[in-house]
Amino acid sequence: MRDTVSPTTPPLRPIGEVLLKVEDIRLSFGGIRALDGVSFEIRQGEILAIIGPNGAGKSSLLNVVNGFYRPREGTITYKGKPHRGMRTHEAAASGIARTFQNIALFKSMSTLDNIMTGRLTKMRTGLLAQALYLGPAQAQEIEHRRVVEKVIDFLEIEAIRKVPVGKLPYGLQKRVELARALAAEPDLLLLDEPMAGMNIEEKQDMCRFILDVNDEFGTTIALIEHDMSVVMDISDRVVVLDYGRKIADGTPDEVRRDPAVIEAYLGVAH
Amino acid sequence: MTPVSFIIEVTVGGLLTGVMYSLVALGFVLIYKASGVFNYAQGSMVLFAALSFVGQLELGMPIWLAVLVTVAIMVALAYVVERLVLRPLVNQEQITLFMATIGISFFLDGFGQEIWGSDVHTLNIGIPQNPIFLGDVLINQFDLIAAVVAGSLVAALALFFQYTRVGRALRAVADDHQAAMSVGIPLKSIWVVVWSAAGIVALVAGIMWGSKLGVQFSVALVALKALPVLILGGFTSIPGAIIGGLIIGAGEKLSEVFLGPMLGGGIETWFAYMLAMLVLLIRPQGLFGERIIERV
Repeated sequence: MRDTVSPTTPPLRPIGEVLLKVEDIRLSFGGIRALDGVSFEIRQGEILAIIGPNGAGKSSLLNVVNGFYRPREGTITYKGKPHRGMRTHEAAASGIARTFQNIALFKSMSTLDNIMTGRLTKMRTGLLAQALYLGPAQAQEIEHRRVVEKVIDFLEIEAIRKVPVGKLPYGLQKRVELARALAAEPDLLLLDEPMAGMNIEEKQDMCRFILDVNDEFGTTIALIEHDMSVVMDISDRVVVLDYGRKIADGTPDEVRRDPAVIEAYLGVAH
Repeated sequence: MTPVSFIIEVTVGGLLTGVMYSLVALGFVLIYKASGVFNYAQGSMVLFAALSFVGQLELGMPIWLAVLVTVAIMVALAYVVERLVLRPLVNQEQITLFMATIGISFFLDGFGQEIWGSDVHTLNIGIPQNPIFLGDVLINQFDLIAAVVAGSLVAALALFFQYTRVGRALRAVADDHQAAMSVGIPLKSIWVVVWSAAGIVALVAGIMWGSKLGVQFSVALVALKALPVLILGGFTSIPGAIIGGLIIGAGEKLSEVFLGPMLGGGIETWFAYMLAMLVLLIRPQGLFGERIIERV
């Protein structure tokens, strides 16, 4: 993994317009400030890593972007349109897909059905046609199956198509969750600790998939990760949070040398 | 009459009654499947729908119009329940939601009888009640028609859940709310759809049971017979609700006829509950329920 992508290589992918701009987001739970004026941007085609110690507000930030939380203050501008937080189904319909830190799959449904749910927002036939399984609905279903099969192929999970995901080992469940997100053909993919709890081999696979997704489909990716070697290898830019504030934002190399980051992670040298 | 045709007659009679139980159980399954909530108010919804239907008929509406108006009322009820009960309680414990449905049940029982009165209303929508002979076997025509209606309803619902986008969304919501939201399923409209579907099923059950018993408070208590059906068939399985109903219907009639004389009769009233208890001991997820998968 380290051999294929060296941290000093400048990104080969074209980094484009600003896709998502988050400005001065404030969010609190009871008296606790989860996010305290966080601003950052993600550009088209970029892989952005969000790092920070536990409780820094990383997951809260993703939850704000995909509409689970509505911020108390601040603006989110996505594809040029400003919002004070979208609803989850609006976010999904406008091309934001995500995975969760503690896998959120439909455990009693098969891998295939799980991934098919990723297509839900793309399905446009009416309820009645759906209920009766008529012409266009059927044609659509076939088209959706095609996309889903492509994703299955891409993530190399052909063998577990029919297996209820509750029975799969952890690493594969993570992969199915990624597959469901990809089935939505997202413009912005949010990954909350995609490699947590994996062994080295699984991590390498996951890194390869993330890079391939970005490379082949041009998907913009924001990911939260704790494994620093992974972060340094695959991300174009790193945002560092600590106690709900952004303390650094830059290339992996810049961030690694940033004294504020070193302090947050290691404590101040006395 | 030969003993064989007598056994067949008892069995068929039992199966047909069983279908009527299934009809009520179905409403429970729908809501449980999609929201993981055991809807205590299902029996009350059956009564409420039946009262509303009979109320429209007594105003002089034709049957088709009374059906349409009652469907509209049940959909409106679904909307109100989502707005006032489910939405404020989102992400709460199952037991909290269950308690809330007890509240809904009290409200519906009271409100329905307040509007349409607590007298027994007779309901006759022209289904013939007289028994007919099929070969040697005497069958109640009404039960036969009820079985056909219930059968079609179940077939339609099963297909809907298994093969359509909305069906898949419903199953997804049942499985994991958070994940369902992340793939863009609007929880709120799904709940309205499910409660509406359960309301329509309640209407069908209400018309059938109302024609049989008269529309009165005891219709709501039919829901008690649906419980063993659910335990037998599994709370999450539509075909399970049907087969559970059939087993219980046939079982209670056969045991009454053949074990009754030995045990002193009255078996019909408790047979279903005994059977349900045995199933709970041996196979807690029911005969057709989803396997309970536990990872540690």
